[in-house]
Amino acid sequence: MNSPRTRSISTRLTIMNMLVSGAALLLACIAFFAYDQITFREGLVHTLSAQAQIISSNSVSAVLFNDPQTAANTLSALKSSNNIASAGIFTVDDHPFAQYSRAGEGKLLTIPAISEDQIETYRFGTSHVLLVRKILSEGKVIGFVYILADLHEIDKRLARYALIAMVVLLVSLLFALLVSSAFRKSVSQPIVNLAETARRVSRDKDYSVRVADVGERDEVSVLIESFNEMLREIQLREGALQQAHNELEDRVSERTRELLSANRELEAFSYSVSHDLRGPLDALNGFIYLLIQQHGEKLNTGGRELIEHIRNAGKRMTELIEDLLNLSRVSTSAMHMEKVDLSKIAHSIAEELCHSHPQRKVEFVISNTENAQGDVRLLRIVLENLLRNSWKYTSGHKESRIQFGAEGNKGRTVYFVRDDGAGFDPRSATRLFQPFQRLHSKDEFPGNGIGLATVQRIVRRHGGETWAVGAVEKGATFYFTLGSAAGQPKA
Amino acid sequence: MNTTGGWLHSERKSLAARISRVRRFRNMIACFSSLLSLLLLIPVCSAQLTHPTEFQVESAYLYNFGKFVQWPPDRVQASDSLQICLLGKDPFGAILDSTVAGEKIDGRAITVRRLSTVDDSSSCGILFISSSEEARLNTVLAIAQRSGELTVSDIPHFAERGGTIGFVMQQGRIRFEVNRAAAVQSHLTLSSELLKVASKVINKPLRNGQP
Repeated sequence: MNSPRTRSISTRLTIMNMLVSGAALLLACIAFFAYDQITFREGLVHTLSAQAQIISSNSVSAVLFNDPQTAANTLSALKSSNNIASAGIFTVDDHPFAQYSRAGEGKLLTIPAISEDQIETYRFGTSHVLLVRKILSEGKVIGFVYILADLHEIDKRLARYALIAMVVLLVSLLFALLVSSAFRKSVSQPIVNLAETARRVSRDKDYSVRVADVGERDEVSVLIESFNEMLREIQLREGALQQAHNELEDRVSERTRELLSANRELEAFSYSVSHDLRGPLDALNGFIYLLIQQHGEKLNTGGRELIEHIRNAGKRMTELIEDLLNLSRVSTSAMHMEKVDLSKIAHSIAEELCHSHPQRKVEFVISNTENAQGDVRLLRIVLENLLRNSWKYTSGHKESRIQFGAEGNKGRTVYFVRDDGAGFDPRSATRLFQPFQRLHSKDEFPGNGIGLATVQRIVRRHGGETWAVGAVEKGATFYFTLGSAAGQPKA
Repeated sequence: MNTTGGWLHSERKSLAARISRVRRFRNMIACFSSLLSLLLLIPVCSAQLTHPTEFQVESAYLYNFGKFVQWPPDRVQASDSLQICLLGKDPFGAILDSTVAGEKIDGRAITVRRLSTVDDSSSCGILFISSSEEARLNTVLAIAQRSGELTVSDIPHFAERGGTIGFVMQQGRIRFEVNRAAAVQSHLTLSSELLKVASKVINKPLRNGQP
């Protein structure tokens, strides 16, 4: 599976080889042929000249004694040279005297002029060469002999040379092909290997591969060496990086494990403390109750007041322990996710509240919300805490109004509980959801500061958030969401 | 002016043309001289320019024979001129003189001598025997042969009768017959080139002393 690029480098090498050898051969052929042409023409002229010389010296008497027949006989000796198309003798005053032609093609020629100091001259035409020589007798011109030779021989030679050149060219190209394929191993194969490895590295991110080095010391082997060195470096660094990453992972999971176990211990501790505290407290409460029942009349008014204080404190402690147990329960109990109608729960809580304090004038405005996804028991605790909170903090007002609803915000549903009660100082808004943190004194509004912390824990377990907006005596609004934007609650 | 490559048609002022012009000019001189001597021959004179007369041809041949004949070395001195002698009535007149004027064969100048008797022919290279001498032909030939002369004549059957070269008229063309035996008897060597163009080569020696 050669990619176009890797194939092209060896192909290009081959083509280059073939082009170079082909061009060199072609040039050599052309030069050789040109040389041969020149030599051949020179030889031809030389031969013709010799023949003309013989003819002219043998036809002196024929011309002098006006014997065309003898001259024609002399000319006919040219039959043996089959490249001579025609020949002839002209008298000194340009009259044709005798004629010879190979195949009866007796066309009369106009013979070229010869200057006074020349004895012969020749002219090359496209297919013929014409040679003219003076016939001399006693140093005087008595006539001219011409020989017309055709150049078919040259054409034949050309064709033969072209054939030979073509065959040689083909054979040498074939040879170049073979040689280049033999050299491909040593020249282009390393490059192809390099490219293949580079592609594998970039595709598989496998830095452990190495390019096989070739024995020869050239630029390619330097390149391969450097490439391997680079891979080694990358592999080293990647290993170090991976190690650091793994260490970090290990450390994080260790910390998480430690934190989880610490948290669990803490929760177990607080649970067991709360649980164990309940026994002695119940006993204390019980005995105080018995003390009031059986010996109440014996105590004076001051004594009864003190006893009453002790009883209230015991009651508050019981509530506190109960809340602490709830808090740890919501953190640890298993969740059963299902569809929950929050509006319905809000209605039932509102009804309970109205029923328990029929003297208060509180208007509940509960809008219908879409079914939420969550644990119905825990979500009931959320709404109970928030609505009771509002109920409590509106107690200072003669008439009040408590709202429950939902609004869409950036693709997620935000639920809210709004009242027009005592409100809070917005600067302390972040402290609201921390356990045991209270913004109002116990005398003003009873409570132990665990309710909103419980709310936050439950909402967080559902993968949501809580926040509050409010101002002193201007009411407060508590918001919560269920599930993150991705909609997946945390386990 | 003419180069090897000067093949243009306009440049076809070949040497041949110029030579022929010279020849024509020479002919005109010849013509002029004949005009002086033979005032009546004016129309013949103009005809000469295109068709050489029998005498013109023969006089040219007479001179040309000299090129193909080798005389015995003891008879020829390099300094000597080649003498063309006319025996009997001269048929050529000035034509022969103008033909050979200035010409040389093997570096020898050519002179024309007119003889009244064959006895004066001892220094002649070529002896033309006029038809007027036909009656005494055998005697003349015998004398000429002894002095190694090339005998030429337009007497019919001259070669047959022991002469070396005899002019004959064939199809309106002047040709010549050669008697090789006669040449040998005269110690002359004839070139094969000459024999080649002869209309007939005869091998018939002159019987000595025969009248």
